This record gives sequence, structure tokens and C-alpha cells, in this order.
Amino acid sequence: MPETTATVEKRKKRYGMVIDLRKCAGCSACTVACSIENNVPEGHFRTWVKEMEVGLFPDVKRIKLPRLCNHCEDPPCVKVCPVQASWQNEDGVVLIDQDRCIGCKYCIAACPYEARFINPETNTADKCSFCIHRLEVGQLPACVTTCVGGARIFGDVNDPESEISKVLSQYSVNVLKPDLGTQPFVFYIDGDGSLMAGDYSGLRLDHTIRLAPGGK
Amino acid sequence: MGIGPYIPVHYLYNVHHEIPFGYLIAIYFFYTGLSAGSFLMSALSSVLGIKKFKPIAKVSGVMALTLLAVAPLHLIADLERPLSFWRLFVYYNGSSAISYGTILLTIYPLMTLIYLWFMMRKDLALGAKYLTNWRGKLYRLLTLGHLDTSEASFEKDQKIVRTLGMITVPLAFLVHGYTGFILGNVQARGLWNTALMPYIFLMSAIVSGTGLLLLLVLFAERFLSAERRITPERRELIDDIAKMMPWFILVDGTLLISHFIVLYFAGQNAHETAWQMLYGHHQWSFLFDEVLIGLVLPMIIFSIPKLRKNLFMLIIGSFMTLYGVVYMRMNFVIGGQQLELDGNGWKTYIPDPLHVKLIFTFAALEIILLFGLMFLLPITEQRYPPLVQPLKGKDIKGTLTMEH
Repeated sequence: MPETTATVEKRKKRYGMVIDLRKCAGCSACTVACSIENNVPEGHFRTWVKEMEVGLFPDVKRIKLPRLCNHCEDPPCVKVCPVQASWQNEDGVVLIDQDRCIGCKYCIAACPYEARFINPETNTADKCSFCIHRLEVGQLPACVTTCVGGARIFGDVNDPESEISKVLSQYSVNVLKPDLGTQPFVFYIDGDGSLMAGDYSGLRLDHTIRLAPGGK
Repeated sequence: MGIGPYIPVHYLYNVHHEIPFGYLIAIYFFYTGLSAGSFLMSALSSVLGIKKFKPIAKVSGVMALTLLAVAPLHLIADLERPLSFWRLFVYYNGSSAISYGTILLTIYPLMTLIYLWFMMRKDLALGAKYLTNWRGKLYRLLTLGHLDTSEASFEKDQKIVRTLGMITVPLAFLVHGYTGFILGNVQARGLWNTALMPYIFLMSAIVSGTGLLLLLVLFAERFLSAERRITPERRELIDDIAKMMPWFILVDGTLLISHFIVLYFAGQNAHETAWQMLYGHHQWSFLFDEVLIGLVLPMIIFSIPKLRKNLFMLIIGSFMTLYGVVYMRMNFVIGGQQLELDGNGWKTYIPDPLHVKLIFTFAALEIILLFGLMFLLPITEQRYPPLVQPLKGKDIKGTLTMEH
């Protein structure tokens, strides 16, 4: 069980996700399922799978790191939204009121995880919602149901009987950029060190891939 | 060897994320900075009571007002849903710097307008009394019926100007200081996340504000004043303003150097962004445009009396401060966002062509508004009744002649 704060314990439910990196095959089925489920416009992603090569030859390992909104307990994006269009519901899910958002992009600048983007169809900020519309009818998020290796485990962290609670009590987990104090609720099994913190060691070695706008 | 914490990570695939704040925001910061800087120069005489700066108070007031009238247009244009900007006034978030800005950007221009009106009422009332042309009619209209030309009423105006100034000076600090908080409050971006950010923005605002003010005072005295030339007293006044510039640049530069010294010892994100400014993609625009042209060369021009007193060098130096501060805004706004927070590389910023067009449109609007108001309003020292009228043409040098 990860360290929780008073606000988390006060919640009746606290949704979270565990991603088991040992089981992720990097097939990107989650990305596809998410894009279909949420009508995500082309070129933008609510969830995606980063692929990295870690180590030096011959001690090299390929890592697939699925990424999505971390639904932080202390979300920087909610703090900066001038019209309170970004908000956190009672279950800890960070959501965007699409009718209220004016598209100032401050939340995008403030998110340390680059989880947000401007949806060119609605002209508002957009991001992963843990498929809130599915949760409301008792279904799991689309990426969880579609995950081939069963790498994504979703549930109520505050319910000790839930699968996610059992996994969290069984394994040591990490979160992305824990030093920022945002308290993410997307946990990674087998994600350590340079994978979880921002790693910029390749910047001056020209190891980086240059990404053209549009993700080509 | 397992996957330890210090093993090199080589990215094979990641998705592209766009840079949220572009040139429109950078130029918006430039405008509010100019406005706040010029207002503070105006307050030197009206609030602090330094009499010698009185002749510039109105020019800088007009400058502060028009710049702040155009600045928010950049913000609205940068919204993805510009027509819904009114929601900023309806919904409020106490922890969002943009929410503070909404209030400040509403109150500050109104206060400046009222301040300017009280400052000009004397000239407007006198103009309404003595001028018979269209200008007299306009001034009569602008007095809003307050045509009292007694000395007592002017003194009362001065007192009100002082009080209004005292309220508006903190607002001027805040209206630009808050933009520093917009960036400073973002923990994720190393270059921005510092308590120095509002002060760096304020100091560069004062540098650029003084730069533009010098240019406008020169212009107003040469083309709009009663004398139609820059009198020796005005030259002295301009020199007095120019003398302050090295100090402003010194403080601005010191803050910048302090920022970079701490960045060197900061976390990886911040350190890498600073590295990018000094050695990476932003090296040229930072070291050459911002530091050399914007700070070092004006510092030299404005601190050597011989250069400072040369009108041509003064104009060049003033333009350089403006140029440097535009680059400063761009370097900090764009440069602060180029590090991929979710990767291991730099993002490229490609400005939206529409945004670039809008920037030039707003600049044209600003120029029309600024010079229009400078032409219409009594910004220079007026003489009533207007005994002295300049001769038209080139023979205006030398003594003033009476025209009948």
C-alpha cells in the first residue's frame, strides 16, 4: 500500500491504476482502445506507450512505459485553472469540464507529465479521464479491459478487498517524478530510477530522437 | 547489471507534445511590462514628488494606458476559445495566477485612465477656455463638464493625482509581477519555478519601459510640443532619465545572473534548461540578442555621458533595450517549455502563422492608439493663453517668434 495522505483516506473511493511493466509487451492496444473509446483526434493521445532502451550494450533492456494522466492527489493542473474547469471528483479522478474550459493552456504548461493536450475538435484541454463514463456504469477503463498482458490493474485503492489494493500490498511500486509531491495514483511495478524521474542524460549526447510536430 | 537508477536511457518512441504558451504570451508580457514600467516613471513626479520629472508624467501615463489596452487582446487571441473569455470574470480560482491577472488587468487600466484624466484636467480645462479650434471643442468634451480653471481646483487635482498614483503604483507592480507568478508557479518547469521570476520580469519591464519612454518623450518634444523642438531643459531631463537606465540594467542583470547561478546548482530539469540557454539552441537568442544587445550595449551607451548625450546613440540604445526585452520574454516563455517533461529531448516551437499575424496587427493597433492619443491629448507642457505659436517649416530653430 503506498503512502496515503489524509485527503485520500477521507475519500470513500480512490481510483487508481497499477501498471505492471513486466507484463507490458508494448503492443499499444491500450492507445488504440482509448482513442476509439474517447474519440481522441488524430495525432493526440490520452494514453501512449513510450519505448526506451536502457543500459549499455551488452547489458541492454527494452522498456515499454505506458503513460496516461496520473490523476494526482495534489494536481498542479487543477490549481492553475483560472475558471475551475479542471477539477477533481470525489473519487480522486481529475476531470475537465469541457463546457467551461476556455483553452488558456495553463494546465498544459503546468502538468509535469505532459498528460494534457488541446483537442482540436472541441478547442479545449483534454486528457485521460479514467474513462469516467465507463466507471459510472460499473465498467473498467477501455485500456484496462483491452490490455493483452493484463498489465493494467484498475480499482479502488481505499477498498482493501479490491484487486489493486492486493497488488499494491504485494509489490513495491513507484510513481513518476515522486519528488514533485503531486502524489500520482498511477503506480508502476518494476519501474525504477531513471525511468520514473525525468532523465535528461542523453540531451547533450545527441541520443535523443527529434520529434516533429504531429508526432511523425 | 540490472536497471539501476543511473543507467542511460535511450528513447526509441515517444509521442509529440506541443508547446502550450507561444509568442502571443511572450509579447503580452512585453506589453504589460512596458505599461508597468512607464507608469512607474510617471509616478516619479506625481507620487514621489520629484518635480523635474513632471514633464514626462503625461506621456508615460498615455503610454501606460494604451499599452494595457492592447495587451489583453494577446491573451484573448491566445485562448483556444476566444469568445468564452468572459468566463474568466465569472469563475474564479484563488490559486491561479491567471485569475489574479483577470482582476488586475481590469482595475489597472481603469485606474490609469482616471489618474490620467485628473492629471490632464488642468490642460483640458484651459484648452477648452482658450482654444477656438477643434482641439478646444475636444478638450471641452473631455473635461466632462469640469471647466473650473481656478488655481485651487488645479491644486485639488494634483492631490487626487497623488492619491490615485499611490494606489496605482502597487497595481502597476502587481500587474506585471503577477505575470512572473504565472511562470514562477509552475513547478514542473525548471527555468520558471523561482521566486525571482516576478522581479526579473519587473526589472526588465522597467528597463524596456524607460527605453520606450525616452523615445516617446523625444518624439513628443520634437513634433508635438509648443516649441516643436527639443529644448536644452528637455535635453537635460532626458539625460536625467537616461542616467537611471544603467542602474535599472544593473539590477536586471544581477537578478538574471543570480537566477543562472542557482540554476547551475538546481535539479536536472532546471540545470538542463539553463544549459540550453547558455550553450544549446537558445544560446544565440539568449547571449547575443537578450544579453549583448539588450543589456550590455545599452549599459555601455547609457553609462558613458558622451554617448548618452548623443541623440542618435540615445535612440539606438533605447531601441536596443526594447529589442533585448522582447527576446527576454521569448527566451523565458518559449525556452522554459522546450525541455520535454516526458522524454529526453527538446521540443521545437513552430509559431502559428495566425498568431504571428495577430501580433503584427495588435502592434499596428498599438501604434495608432499611442500616437493618436499623443497627438490628441495635451501631453506636453502647454501655455495658456497660447501666446507663442511655432512657425511652420524648417526655420523653427533659435528664438520663438510670435505669430499673428
